[in-house]
Amino acid sequence: MAQLTYREAVSAAIAQEMRRDENVVFLGEDVAAAGGVFKTTAGLLEEFGPERVKDTPISEQAIIGAAMGASMTGLRPIAEIMFSDFFAVCWDLVANQIAKTRYMTDGQCSFPLVLRSANGGGSRFGAQHSQSVENWAMAIPGLKVVAPSNPADVKGLLAASIRDPDPVMFFEQKSLYSVKGEVPDGEHIEPLGVASIVRAGTDVTVAALAAMVPRALKAAEILQDQHGISCEVVDVRCLVPLDTQTILGSVVRTSRFVTVEENPRLCGWGAELASIVAEELFWDLDGPIVRITTPHIPLPSADELEDAVMPSPERIVQNIKKLVD
Amino acid sequence: MNVLMPQLGETVAEGKVAIWYKKEGDIVAKNEILVDVETDKAAVEIPSPVEGVIGSILVSEGETVDVGTILAVINNQDADSGSSEQLANVEKKNSTPELTQNNFIAETLKSQKIINSPESGQSGRRLKLSPVVRRLLTEHQIDVNEVLGSGKDGRITRSDVMAFLDNRLTKPSVKPVLQPLGDSNRVPFDRIRRVTAEHMVRSKVTSPHVFQAVEADFSSVDAARSFHQERWRSDNGYSLTYLPFIARATCLALRDFPRLNGSVDGEALILHKGIHLSIAVDLNFKGLVAPVIFDADGLTVMGLARRIHEISMGAREGKLSADELSGGTYTLSNNGSFGTLLTGAIINQPQVGILSIDAIKKRPVVIEDSTGDSIAIRPVGILSQSFDHRAVDGSYSAAFLHKIRTLLEEKDWSAEL
Repeated sequence: MAQLTYREAVSAAIAQEMRRDENVVFLGEDVAAAGGVFKTTAGLLEEFGPERVKDTPISEQAIIGAAMGASMTGLRPIAEIMFSDFFAVCWDLVANQIAKTRYMTDGQCSFPLVLRSANGGGSRFGAQHSQSVENWAMAIPGLKVVAPSNPADVKGLLAASIRDPDPVMFFEQKSLYSVKGEVPDGEHIEPLGVASIVRAGTDVTVAALAAMVPRALKAAEILQDQHGISCEVVDVRCLVPLDTQTILGSVVRTSRFVTVEENPRLCGWGAELASIVAEELFWDLDGPIVRITTPHIPLPSADELEDAVMPSPERIVQNIKKLVD
Repeated sequence: MNVLMPQLGETVAEGKVAIWYKKEGDIVAKNEILVDVETDKAAVEIPSPVEGVIGSILVSEGETVDVGTILAVINNQDADSGSSEQLANVEKKNSTPELTQNNFIAETLKSQKIINSPESGQSGRRLKLSPVVRRLLTEHQIDVNEVLGSGKDGRITRSDVMAFLDNRLTKPSVKPVLQPLGDSNRVPFDRIRRVTAEHMVRSKVTSPHVFQAVEADFSSVDAARSFHQERWRSDNGYSLTYLPFIARATCLALRDFPRLNGSVDGEALILHKGIHLSIAVDLNFKGLVAPVIFDADGLTVMGLARRIHEISMGAREGKLSADELSGGTYTLSNNGSFGTLLTGAIINQPQVGILSIDAIKKRPVVIEDSTGDSIAIRPVGILSQSFDHRAVDGSYSAAFLHKIRTLLEEKDWSAEL
């Protein structure tokens, strides 16, 4: 197994799929010659040439529109939106065109494309460059939504997203780009829609996504060592399709459910999970379902303030302790 | 005057009201027994602190409440509301502010745990049960009052119900109804009889008992004992018995056989570091208690003799706290005073072994030595152990008994006195 960073795993996945399928193409702002502003796509231009790896003008609508058109003609484009906040300027294409056209044409056109983006806070980029918007995408029928927490999943899930016959929104957490991890050698692919139990436990099920997974794991360690509370941590990995089986199976064992979300409070993805658990497993619950989220505010850029509002291991510990007491 | 839940031992935080001997409106004399209170360690009769009329009983039978909670209000002549005398005995953290007649109910409600009895809700308390607990109670037809809550404010958790179910599976629940014979007299168990009965049944159900005995020659012990007896009696006012010698030998043997100084926990044996001897003490046919000599292996025969005397007297006079009645790791049961030959004792849970000492009596004994066999008259007694076969096997127990016997017969006991 190789040690790769989260960012290296992005280019490794794209390269793996471009070598395998010549229909895979890649476009975005500063992705080719510069290797991406987060250096996630370094080396792709050199290996695959300017026909398949393209820098675009600074126009998110142009990028998404080109990717949509390319996918309708049979290519498998990967489009990068530099900051996921910018999906707002091209949301008509994403929400109304890409997500719905296969349905509206009764399957005459399909859209095997991936929209990748750097998502989430913790890197001091301020209110318009730090949002965690995977829940926007989750709200649109017709889109698949993926948000990995570690390098191996970045490679495996991005490869699966590229091979998927439908549009996939792929959210990379920018504060995790420098995190290293083991990535299996050779071709690596992880199926979409399968959650992963990253720590087994008996008292509480903790569902987390992307950057909240390492924080939940840290909290679980503290809870076990200092308070004797055993947490089962589930890395949700994909919001659509959602692996309810793994999550519900875990809650049946623990009888308690907590979500850790970077989304602002209202309508974060955890609200949907909480609703499913409440509906399916009401008679198995031994306490209220607890959501730990960022408050419903624009994310501050000051270091201390940004750290204070995002769910921290300490806040997770506090909330879970209160639930289990 | 408020009657409070007393502190029955330093580590005890709550107690259960077992029996009220008075009801609201009854007249009670000072020091008349008012209520029986039980903890997991002991049961105690609480006398009335004053003479007066029972105004209200705030905690009903079967309820468990925090130390310091008001159990009842007695209206007396100098009807001050204070209970400061009692409060002094209650740990500070548990103390209740002085209350007036007007606010005592509100204060009581605040300080009381929500406990496991929904029908005690006449005072406005309501039991909160989580969905999974409700479902399990219904599915298994469990009376909520029988389940003890371990959560915050006494809340019943799923684990509490699961533990209750595990316990129920191993407990016989059939209550035979006896038709009394014509001239028979039904004597209800007092609290100590009830606690003993429950404990004995639980011990027999929990531990597969194996009974094993050795015969020991007490000549060596007897020599040391006789030599010091007169001086001991004049110094201490009571006799030096065989028991402290046997206790000493048991402590030394337990050091070499740590698995008998343990407790079974699920599929594990917990080995206790300290050797804390429980000594079974008969309360003149009115019950049995087993006060504890902590770190007994640090005491000499003389030290053990004094402690055994102290705790036996303390037990008979009812002066021991709950802390002194629990925490033992091995038990000695001395049954010899009526000349018994041997006794199959029941293990004192959660321990794994109990040693019974029966009569030590002069008998003819065949002595084998290099000059040939001869018959001698020796003080001989049988030491018998009941042990939990989950924890150890017969060979281990036998080796332990052999060790005690060898110590009793061969140790230089005069050096200990």
